[in-house]
This record gives sequence, structure tokens and C-alpha cells, in this order.
Amino acid sequence: MGLREQDIDSILDVYPAKVKRNRKKHILLRDTALETQEIEANARTIPGIISNRGCAFAGCKGVVLGPLKDFVHIVHGPIGCAYYTWGTRRNKARIEDPKQYFLNYCFSTDMQESDIVFGGEKKLAGMIDEVVETFHPNAIAVTATCPVGLIGDDIQAVAREAEKRHGVPVMAFNCEGYRGVSQSAGHHIANNGLMEHVIGRGDLEEPPTRFAVNMLGEYNIGGDSWEIERVLRDIGYEVIAVMTGGGSFETLKNAHVANLNLVQCHRSINYIADMLEKKYGTPWLKINFIGINNTIQSLRNMAVYFGDAKLQERTEEVIAREMSRVEPVLEQYRKICQGKTAFCFVGGSRGHNYQGIFAELGVETILAGYEFAHRDDYEGRAIIPQIKINADNQNIPELTVEPDKKRFRMKVSPEKMAELQEKIPLCEYKGMIVEMQSSSLIVDDLNHFETEAFIERLKPDIFCSGIKDKYVAHKMGVPSKQLHSYDYSGPYYGFKGAVKFAQDITMGFVSPTWNYITPPWKNKPLLKGDVQKEEVQNVGLYTKRT
Amino acid sequence: MEEQAVSYRSVNENPCHMCMPIGAILPFKGVERSMVLIHGSQGCSTYMRRHISEHFNEPVDVGSSSLNEKGTVYGGEANLKQGLDNLIKIYHPSLIGVLTTCLAETIGEDIDRIGQEYLRERKMDNFPLVTVPTPGYGHSHSEGFSLAVKRILARLARKSPSHGRINVLVPNISPADLREIKRLLEIMGVRYTLLPDFSETLDAPFTSPYHKIPSGGTGLNSIREMPGAIATLQMGVTLEEGFSPGKYLEEEYRVPLFNLPLPIGLENTDTFIRSLQKVTGAPVPEILLKERGRLLDAMVDAHKYNFAGRCIIFGEPELVYAMAGTCLENGVTPVAVATGGKGAKLKTLLQTLRDRYAADAPDTGNGKGVGPVFLPEADFDIMRRTARERGANLAIGHSGGKYLTEKEGIPLVRMGFPIHDRVGGQRIFSAGYAGTTVFLDRITNTLLERKLSGYRERIYRQFYRGKKYDLV
Repeated sequence: MGLREQDIDSILDVYPAKVKRNRKKHILLRDTALETQEIEANARTIPGIISNRGCAFAGCKGVVLGPLKDFVHIVHGPIGCAYYTWGTRRNKARIEDPKQYFLNYCFSTDMQESDIVFGGEKKLAGMIDEVVETFHPNAIAVTATCPVGLIGDDIQAVAREAEKRHGVPVMAFNCEGYRGVSQSAGHHIANNGLMEHVIGRGDLEEPPTRFAVNMLGEYNIGGDSWEIERVLRDIGYEVIAVMTGGGSFETLKNAHVANLNLVQCHRSINYIADMLEKKYGTPWLKINFIGINNTIQSLRNMAVYFGDAKLQERTEEVIAREMSRVEPVLEQYRKICQGKTAFCFVGGSRGHNYQGIFAELGVETILAGYEFAHRDDYEGRAIIPQIKINADNQNIPELTVEPDKKRFRMKVSPEKMAELQEKIPLCEYKGMIVEMQSSSLIVDDLNHFETEAFIERLKPDIFCSGIKDKYVAHKMGVPSKQLHSYDYSGPYYGFKGAVKFAQDITMGFVSPTWNYITPPWKNKPLLKGDVQKEEVQNVGLYTKRT
Repeated sequence: MEEQAVSYRSVNENPCHMCMPIGAILPFKGVERSMVLIHGSQGCSTYMRRHISEHFNEPVDVGSSSLNEKGTVYGGEANLKQGLDNLIKIYHPSLIGVLTTCLAETIGEDIDRIGQEYLRERKMDNFPLVTVPTPGYGHSHSEGFSLAVKRILARLARKSPSHGRINVLVPNISPADLREIKRLLEIMGVRYTLLPDFSETLDAPFTSPYHKIPSGGTGLNSIREMPGAIATLQMGVTLEEGFSPGKYLEEEYRVPLFNLPLPIGLENTDTFIRSLQKVTGAPVPEILLKERGRLLDAMVDAHKYNFAGRCIIFGEPELVYAMAGTCLENGVTPVAVATGGKGAKLKTLLQTLRDRYAADAPDTGNGKGVGPVFLPEADFDIMRRTARERGANLAIGHSGGKYLTEKEGIPLVRMGFPIHDRVGGQRIFSAGYAGTTVFLDRITNTLLERKLSGYRERIYRQFYRGKKYDLV
């Protein structure tokens, strides 16, 4: 159990020497005795290694902008990229106005060779006209794919002109696939655009209640955000805007009035969180609504922030009520999950955020990592000043925001801020590493080869990642759970979600299917006296690797 | 033939087709110990792997040269070469396909030159590196597929002594159908080379231990010897010449080419079996006669239900053509056919098909005539409107068609690639007499389900409308 440095070395020996040196920096053996541990992240992907990373377009259109339901999302480029982001993320949304709901649509300018040669601006402008005429959407987002930037289409100008022509917000995002090193660049581009064009565009000056919050970095996969909103509303919070799962132009434009921003996925949305603090004086709180303990802790931290006795009381009431519902059910699953091990390799945030719920169920995370996170997601925000700016991360333009002359209100005085920061992670995120056990493994940008090698060596009981690598685990006889799109299941957040999650992974452990991997003719002859005992052991839990 | 004007719109709303490189990946998965590397942003390879994986429910390893700004400005040569190094070191492939993307083509990467230079530098002159220019804006995934097959042939094929085998070239069909075609070839006693053959690699059995490159696929030597075949049977009646691998073998090596439709449908399977019979000269074995008889029996039994079917068919040209034929021979009227592309050749073929059936077809009462009508450059918005106008009650095609079910309540019989909202895309079985029988059952049962699900309510409305009878 557990790997040593030399084991990792021997696994990486397959690589050419240069690649090995590079990959070594992205792999960390956790040692809790050390004050700090460094890991390389947000660096260029090594060509030819089957990485799970996507591109800037994926991060911008696919992740951050895509879930906004009353936008028509026009993908400017050849047909593929639009097709590949059509309904693939399972970000759910409630249909409030059927005429302003476009999530099941896919719009592409379907650029042809002649557009590449002669430019696609006219086609794009024509398409915006058609879209406005047909759909009258609240807003239009134009996202660029690779060739757009290369042929010099000025989509920003096309968008500005179209906005003038139609009086409908039209915003363009230069998120060509080659920008940055992963989808992370695209998150940043989308964050900048939303800050520049959407947030603050509404007329609302005051929040409808003191306990008004925004939920940032929550994409409502399989309905996650609905479960959280249910609990928050019950306690007495008003959720102004969710960014961006189930979100809309209509709600985001008033996001400036909230008194607190909750940050679920730090990686994809921390830019907006930061900018909201600078521009409107609204601090952000790192919460994690995955798992019972984390959910409870997050709710209590929110109550501490607002410091209202009634709110605190109501928080405890709701927690107690929810706990009495879920705890007995979870207990059953815990009995089955206890002692199992998991790999948890997801995104830029879930790789960390899911570890809590695993621990509650008695499942130890023995390998975790992010696809596209930065060092601060591993080592905590304190490391940010030390992160070297290089050619790859400097070309996403930083958006500088100033305090809004009219709307800036310092929600928390500096003294109060210092006091709160002692108690709760206000404007602070400590990252994944500190929470991991000694001798567990942290791997940045895990690829197919390493996935296979680590599964073989560490033999996890469940492999949690995405669709591209889950079949590798299946073929190796290991159950998997897709933590990007949940294999069409969910929600997994909050109280009810924790039960659903426990149920789903338990199902992975106890599925009778695993018992058939070894055919009967490879077992001992069936007519011997000790057969019955053998059979009893085989029925029930998956016991292949005891 | 009725025909819709070429789309005058700029917008493609809910597309029916994908881009060229995703189609070009698939043939490489059907060649023994082969790997693919996409020269461009890594998002391309990630998206395509994701889409192929979800259809086949299999690991799909595709490398990327992971180009970023630097590569975009100064050229991606170094990235491509490093990518090849790593791919070779980790996977030890016997063949590598290098595909381009929008990015690589727009910045003008010369992958042929880089590829040759790479092999020279690494002293691997004989290594089969197959380059395929596949800009996303070039053509659809169907053309990407055929072009990749053609380029594999162009790289590997060499003058060979006649060996008595036939070449069988297939478009993008399910592993289940590939297996059926192989079974038919074997029953007919034909020695053959099937290209590509991803029947094992993209529908791999659970085995232990796991292999990074699954076993199966057309052997490199078999491909090399394809010029020595007696003839090429190419399931590619809709192929334009520049994309026809069979044409390449004919022009370069004088291998006689016979283009035939996919053996889906009774007549199409007959054509296939008849062609094989010409090769062997032997009578058709009893087992196939029985399978044909069983299909015929099914067709006779189901014809009374099938006449109610008015379907819209969409997907890749070759499959769409075979499905249209299957529908027509069963009395199901294809009211519209779409591929997402211009489909010049397909349009003419459908016209011929339509003329043949039109003479005998009754006017089914709504005066909308007999299809199939081809919709050039159609997206699902055009298809949806056409389906509504022409009273379609059945959709046959890939999972993009779920949109027609959601918006218009038209049930979807899932066929082709991709199938993303159901499992088992790789196991959809429709080829040969046996496959056609189950395909036909799927069509008939979908029509029956629709008919029977609202039956009592409809009868009630029809006969008891306005009267106060309770439904029992």
C-alpha cells in the first residue's frame, strides 16, 4: 500500500528522460511532516501524452458561459467545436421563460474554406441578425474557435456593431483553442467578459434582503445547485445569481448587489470573485457543498460571516433537520464503503472538493489531482505571489477593475475582515495538499499511461474522473464514477446529494457484475466439499482484491 | 424531385454533422496496432476522444501535439516531433496517423514535410507514418473517414502478386455490422481484406490484463497487399471520387472496383451476396437462404404496420442511402433525407430510388407524395420544419435526432454515429439479412409503440367525443 519515490521513478522510466523530469515535477508524494510541498501546475501539456486537458474554448464556452440559459451562444468557427459542446456538460437549468431558454440549442457559423480565406466577419454579423430576428434572446455570446484569431476576424467589433444595431447585449470572447495551456485560460477569458459586459448592468441598487449571496463556480451538473439553493432559501438566504449553472443574463446583471459571494469551484471563477471584491467591496467565502460535513461547515461559516443570531439559529435548525433525514441512510452505505480507496482526478476543484465526502463514507483518497488547476489550487492562495509569470500564462489579458464610484460598499471593515479570517476562509483558499494524508499521491494533469500505471500499482476500489478515462478503469475491472457529468446521475451536492452519491458509489462496489470476471472453469472444481464456503464469499461485495 | 433551396441562412442551428478530423480518427482505430496524433490544439483531440468514447463505450487514445501560442506563431514542428517521440515511446505503435486541424491548416503546417523529416532524423525511414489533411472547415466527418482510408492505402499499398483475395472497403458502420459483414464473407467462402476493421478494437471484450492498444484491426501486410486482390468491393456508392479509396486502387493498381451500397436492407444485401457469388461462382449456402427467408417473413408480417411510417432519415451519406432503401422496400415513406452536407451524388441516387418506387406507390391520402427528398446542408432546424410540414412520424439517425423527439414528439430509431444518450452505439446491428431483420423490427415496433400508446384515448375521442362515457 502506498508508493515510494523510487516506485514513482520506475513508473516514469517509460518516458524519454526530458519528459520524465517534467512529469516528476507534477507528481507529489504527500508528506504531512513537511510544512509546504511544491507541485508544478498550469504548465504546458507535453505533446503526444494522452492528457485529459481541453482547450481555452472548452473552458470559456463549454464550462463558464455555456450554462447561461437565456444567452444564444454562437460558436464562430467550423462546425466541430459547436457540435462537441452541444449539451455535453449536463448543466441543468430551470425554464422560467420558455422563450428565453436556449440550452438545448447549438449555434455555429459553420465556417467553410472560403470563410477562412476571405474572412468570416460578414457571416457572423449576418448570423447575429438572424438569431435576434428569430429568437430575441436576452443576450448573445460569440465564442471564437482556433481559426478565427488566426485569420484576424475582429469579432469584438462585429459584436459591438451588432449590439448597436439591435439594442441587445452582444459580447465576443476570444477564446481560440490555442490560447494558454488548458481550459483554464478560457475560464479567465469568460470571467473577464462577464465582469465587463454583464455583472453590474442591472438597475438594482440594494439587495432584496441582507442575506443576499451569489453562488460562484457552481455549474448545476445534474441539479447540484438546486439542492444547495433549497437549503439556502430554507435558512433565509436569497440567492441573487448562480455563476453559471442555471444562471442567466437576467440574474447575473444584478450580481453586484449581493453581500457575500460563495465560491465553490475556485479555479474557474476566482477571477470574478476577486474583481467583485475590488469593484463592489463584496468579499468571497470558499465554501464546499459536497459532503455532509463540508456542507454543514460551509453553512455555519456563512452564518458566522453575517453574524446574525436568528440566522445562526435557523442554520442549526435546518442542519439538524436535514441530518436526521440523511444520517440513518448514509450509515447503511458507510458499512459497505468503509475501508475502500479512491482515485479522485477532476477539473480544477472537484479533485479536492470530493475528498470530504469520500472520507465521510470511509473511503480514503489515495490519489488526487487536477486536470488544469494552478499551484494555488494545490498549495493555497498564499503561493500566488510566487507563481512565475511566463509566456503561457501572461497572454490572457488581466482585467483591472477600480472600485465602482456609485456602488462600491465595503461590506466588511479591514478589522472585521481580519477577525473573520481567523474563523472562516474568507477570501482565502488553502488548496488540496494540506488536506491530504501522508503517502497519498497528488498528480497534476494525469494522463492515460499514468492512469493505467497507478491503477495497477495502487489498485483503487473506485476510479473517479471523466468519460475519456473511465473505460480504461472499467477494462481493468475497477468501478468508476464520472465526476464531471456523474454518468447521468446526480445531484451530488448538499444533504440529499450526499445520499445519492453514497448510493451511486456503493452500487459500484457491490454490483454483482464484478463476480463474473473470473469464469467458473477457472475456479476450483465445483464438486469439492469446500465449494459452498467459497461461493458464499463470492456473493455480495466485490472481493476481487482483498 | 422536390428539393429545398440550398440554405440561405448563415446560422447552423443544431448541426447534423461533425468536422473532418473526428471521422479520420476512426479508420486508424481499425488498423492493427495503430495510433493517431492530431496536430493542433489539444482541445480537438480531447473533444473527439470524448465523443468517440461515449459512442463506443471504449477507451479511445488519441494524441495531440498540444499547440499553443508559441507553436501557432513559430510553427508547430517541434511539438509534432516531440508528440511523435512520446507516442512511440509509450505505445510502440506499428503505424501512426497524423491528422491536421483548423489550426494547423490555417497556419499552413506542412505535415508531409515534417513527417518525412522526422522519420529521416530518427532513422525510421520505413515506418508507416500516414498524414491526412483534415481541416475542420474542409469537409464533414464522413469525408474525413474516407480520406483517411485512402491515405492509409496510399502510404502502405504496393504492387503485389495476385493472391486471390478481394478488398472490402467500408464506411463508418458499427462494430456489430462489421462483424456481420465478416461473417457473410466467411459463409460465402470469400478470402478478403476488410479495411478498416474496428470490430474488435472499438468493441473490445473484457479481458485481463488491459492492453493500451487493443488487439484487432486490419493487418499492415494485408493492407500492403491490397493491390494484388481480384477486385475491390467498396460500400461507397455516395463517395465523391477524390475521397474514394477504391478508385485509388483502381487507378494506381488496376484493381477492378465495384461500388455497392451497404448491405442493409434486403435488396442491398442481395446485391452484396450476388457480388460475392460472382467472385466464388458457388451457390449461396443454405444458411443464408434461411436468413433471407426469415427477413422476408418479417417483412411480410410487418408490412401492414410499416405503411403508416413516414420517416426522416439523417446521418452519414452511405448509411442514409442504405436506410432509405430499406424503408422504401418496406413501405415506410422517407419524407426527407439529410446528411448535413451538400450530398450531390446522394441526391441523384435518391432520385433514382424514388423513381423506382413512385410508380407503384399509392397516394397515402395526405397528398404529400413519396420520398425521399434530400435536404442539402440541412441542420436539425431545417429537418424539424420539414418533418412537421411533411407529417413525419418517425426519425431514423444518430442521437442528435433526440431534438426532433423533444420538440416534435417524433420517436427516434437510433442508427449511426454518434449515439450519446444510450449505451451500445457499437452494438447496433443492422447489416445482412439478419441485421436488417432486427433493424426492421426496431422500425415497426417504434411505429407500433406510438400507435398503441395513445390508442384508447384516440378511439375515445373519435367515437365518444362530447358524450359523457367514462373510459373503462
